[in-house]
Amino acid sequence: MRLALANLLWLSLVTGNSTRPKEPVKPHPMQERSDEQLMTAVMTGDQVALAALVTRHHAPLLGYLYRLVGGDRQLSEDLLQETFLHVLRQCTYQAGRPFKPWLYMIATNLARDYFKSAAVQKSWRGGDAEEALLHLDDSEAGPEERALAAEQGSEVRAALAQLREEYRVVLVLRFYQGFGLQEIAETLHIPLGTVKSRLSVGVHRLRAVLAPAQKGVD
Amino acid sequence: MPHPQSSWPFERPEQLTDALREQGASPEECADLLPAVRRLSEWQAPQPEPADTRRLLAVLSTELPAPSPVRQAIRERKPRHVSGLLATARAQVSLFGLGFWLVSALVTLLGAAVVLSNVVSDQDVVLRASGPLLAYLGTIVAFRGRGARVWELELVCLPSPLQLAIARLVIVLGYDVGLSLALSLALWAGGSGQVLALTLSWLMPLFLVAGLALLLSLRFSVQTAAALAYGSWLAFLAISSISNLQALLLAPALIVLPGCIGLALLSIALLRLHANMHRLLPHLSDSRTFWEAGS
Repeated sequence: MRLALANLLWLSLVTGNSTRPKEPVKPHPMQERSDEQLMTAVMTGDQVALAALVTRHHAPLLGYLYRLVGGDRQLSEDLLQETFLHVLRQCTYQAGRPFKPWLYMIATNLARDYFKSAAVQKSWRGGDAEEALLHLDDSEAGPEERALAAEQGSEVRAALAQLREEYRVVLVLRFYQGFGLQEIAETLHIPLGTVKSRLSVGVHRLRAVLAPAQKGVD
Repeated sequence: MPHPQSSWPFERPEQLTDALREQGASPEECADLLPAVRRLSEWQAPQPEPADTRRLLAVLSTELPAPSPVRQAIRERKPRHVSGLLATARAQVSLFGLGFWLVSALVTLLGAAVVLSNVVSDQDVVLRASGPLLAYLGTIVAFRGRGARVWELELVCLPSPLQLAIARLVIVLGYDVGLSLALSLALWAGGSGQVLALTLSWLMPLFLVAGLALLLSLRFSVQTAAALAYGSWLAFLAISSISNLQALLLAPALIVLPGCIGLALLSIALLRLHANMHRLLPHLSDSRTFWEAGS
C-alpha cells in the first residue's frame, strides 16, 4: 500500500505539470519504484536497485552534462561517472529527500568545479574549445553552411555557449531536461524568484544571440 | 560512431508556450521568444548505448556500500512511528522505580486533599505549586542517565537518544495527565466548583516546568536544571502573590498560556537535543583528569 502510494506520488511529481515532458514507460517492476526508494536500497548495497537507478538516469543526465559542457561527449561521460561515484562514495543522501534535484545538484557542482580548475581555465584561455564554439556563430557563413549548421544544432550550441553559466544551467534544466521551476530551485539552491528571473534573462539573451542567424536561415 | 539522439521533451507546441508563461512571460513576449526557444530542439544530445550503461554499472558496482549483516538486521527491525514509540516507552518504564509512581500519586492526592479541605484560601496556588513538583520529580528520574554515565551505552544502541527522550517524556507526561484526570475526578466528587479551571491550574504549570527543565538540562546537569526550573516557578508564584502581578499574569483567561509555553519549550529542547549531544557526553575534563592522574 505504501509502495503504491509512493509510486502515485512519484507519478504525480513527474506528470503533474502540463509543461513537463512525459516519462518513458517503465516495464520492469524495479523501475516502478521511486528514485528515493531505489536510492535508499542502494545505500544498503542493493545492486539491482543501483542498476535500475543508473538505467533510469543515465541518458537524461548524460544529455544534461553534454549540453552543460558545450557538447563534449567524452567530458560529459567522465563527469557522469564522477557524479554517480560521488553519489555512492559520499553517502550524504537523506532518506525522503527528492533524489533527482540532489543528483543534478551534484552533477552541476562537479561540472562547475571542473571548469574552475586551474588547468581547464588555462586551456580555455588558450582559446581552443571556446573559440571553436564561437566560430560557429560567424556571420560570414553562407546560407547553405547556415542551414547545415542549424540541422546539426551547432548554432544553438554556440548560442548557449555565449550565455553566462548561470543562465545556461537554468535553460538546459528547463527546456532540455523538462524540470519544473521548483525542481530547478531545489537543484541549484536558489529562490523560485531567482529561477524565474534567470530563465527570463536567459531566454531573452538566447533570442538576441540567435536572432541574426535566424534571419539568415529564414 | 554515430549515437542515437535524445528526444525533445516538449511534445506539443503549446507546452513550450505554457512553460514561458509559467516563468512570467506575457503573451506578446511568448510570441516573440517562442521561435528562439523552439530552436533549442535543433541541438540534440547523444543517447548512451546499453553497452555504455553496462560499463558504467561495472565501475559503480565496485563502489556500492556493503553494510554488515548485523547493521542490516538492526535497520530492518528498527521500530517506526507510534507503535515503535510506544514499544520503546514500554521498555523504558522499568527505568522508573516504584517510588516515582507512588510519590507522584501522593503529591497529587495531597493537592486534592488540601483543595477539598479548604485549609488554604487560595486553592489555585496550592495546585500551581504542587503540579510542577511532579515535573521536577519526573525530569530527575527520567533523565538521570547522564549522572549514571550510561550515555555512551545509549548512543550506540537503537533507538536513538532523541527517541529515548521522547519515549520517557511520553511516560512522564502521560502519567501526569492521567493523575490530572484523577485529580479532576476527585475534585468533582468532592463537590468543588470550577473543576476544569483547578485541573488546568495544576497541569499547565507542570508542562511549563517540564519544558523549562528539559531545555535547561541541555546546558546544566539534570538536577540543577530541574531545580532551577521548579525554583523559578516557585519564585514567580511567590512574587506574583505578594504583588498585583497575580491578577495580571495568572488571570483565568491566561490559564493555558504556561502550558503552551511549556510545550513549545519541550519541542525546542527535543529539536536541540541532537545538536547538543556532545555536551551531554562525559566532559573532556573528566578524561583529562584521568590521564593526568595516570601520569
